[in-house]
Amino acid sequence: MNGAIDKLLAEPGAAFEAEDDSEAAFEYCMQRGWSDGLPVVLPTTERVERMLAYCDRPWDQPVAMLAPRFGAATPLRLAANAVMAGCRPEYFPLVVLAIEAMADEPFNLYGIQATTHPCAPLVIVNGPGATELGMNSGHSALGAGNRANATIGRAVRLSLVNIGGAIPGLGDMCTYGDPTKFTYCAAENEAANPWQPLHVERGFAREATTVTVIAAEPPHNVNDHESYTAAGLLTMIAGTIASTGQNNTYYASEPVVLLSPEHAATIAGDGYSKQALKEFLFEHGRVPIRKFSPENIERRFRGKLAHRYGDAELDTPVAMVERAEDFIVVVIGGAGKHSAYIPTFGNTHAITRALKHADGSLVKSIAGLRRN
Amino acid sequence: MTLQRCVSPEAPVAAAATIALGQRAEGTGIRIGILDNSKANADHLLQFLLDAAGGSLPISATVKRRKPAASRPAAAEIVEDLARETDFVLSAMAD
Repeated sequence: MNGAIDKLLAEPGAAFEAEDDSEAAFEYCMQRGWSDGLPVVLPTTERVERMLAYCDRPWDQPVAMLAPRFGAATPLRLAANAVMAGCRPEYFPLVVLAIEAMADEPFNLYGIQATTHPCAPLVIVNGPGATELGMNSGHSALGAGNRANATIGRAVRLSLVNIGGAIPGLGDMCTYGDPTKFTYCAAENEAANPWQPLHVERGFAREATTVTVIAAEPPHNVNDHESYTAAGLLTMIAGTIASTGQNNTYYASEPVVLLSPEHAATIAGDGYSKQALKEFLFEHGRVPIRKFSPENIERRFRGKLAHRYGDAELDTPVAMVERAEDFIVVVIGGAGKHSAYIPTFGNTHAITRALKHADGSLVKSIAGLRRN
Repeated sequence: MTLQRCVSPEAPVAAAATIALGQRAEGTGIRIGILDNSKANADHLLQFLLDAAGGSLPISATVKRRKPAASRPAAAEIVEDLARETDFVLSAMAD
């Protein structure tokens, strides 16, 4: 495989030369707008080729076209971004899988990349691949400290900027930014999930390794140390869901309820299925129209949403989802009585993809993908 | 320190159809499309741009379309109309 990459770099601009010194590399990439503001690893041909050892498709053929630039996301370019992000080569298949998922039309990548709304693709990994890569699903899974979580999410973000053109202020018009635009990736804590894990609920085999991408805001915490019943906990979560300033009040689609293992155990211990808890939140996580400002009532509910609320009484409750099952429920985290509500962009649908071989069979071992 | 050969992480911007546009500018004039994303001031902003362009470009026709929600792609028929009836499109994104 040595040198196989060179013949793919004939196109003008496909390659560059730089000093492989950490400070110089950081400066070089910053000057070209290729970094998120943090140091990056220089994507030398040798490092990129090591990353591509885990890619069994043509390195120069796009796996997706990323909006708003509609840049071609070839494995070659994705691998360069993965190197820069600090990925180990074995992480690369999940980076490619997440990028493919985001290019699915119902995800609405163009809207997500360009919007003023503070959303970023949340990547949730399920299945044996998460364990194989040592991903964190427990304490601080959505925080710092785990290389796979941090760099898979970062590689996705760098790719969205460098290939998709989501450059802050140019292709990414997010009003005040969003810390999850550095990285936003975790594994589900399947061992602590009393129900089906996310990927099984969404129709995939338990032994599949999947990524689910969700155009999500940062998490909003639900602190509940007092409730010891499902009804009590769900009342608190519903109260957090029921707020006026989120996109889901007018674009109802798939917000996330992240349950800590302790909260999940309490809810399941009272006999609630995942569907039952979703129905509780659907019924109780609503905001009456009168809680919105007069301007919003006039312009949004009586105007743009007149087909639904044109004649509605002011006490009419506004739900955050169209159907109870549209809530995405995941179990993530370690000990502690904190869960989270994560609103979404709105006009988007979560996409789940399984890691497969070229022949369509499920990948059982990421290590087995490595080519010599 | 020696220089290392590296892979660019960046995808190039798609090449614009400048040659065709140039030919039209010298011939029958340019047909400009406007795709309003329905945000509050998009129509005004796009009209300002159109007015400004009129001062320096030989505009032969203007086609205006509006999509109902900024956060969704335009319907296929709108895209087809603009592709068929215009040479380039001014579009709005975000606010």
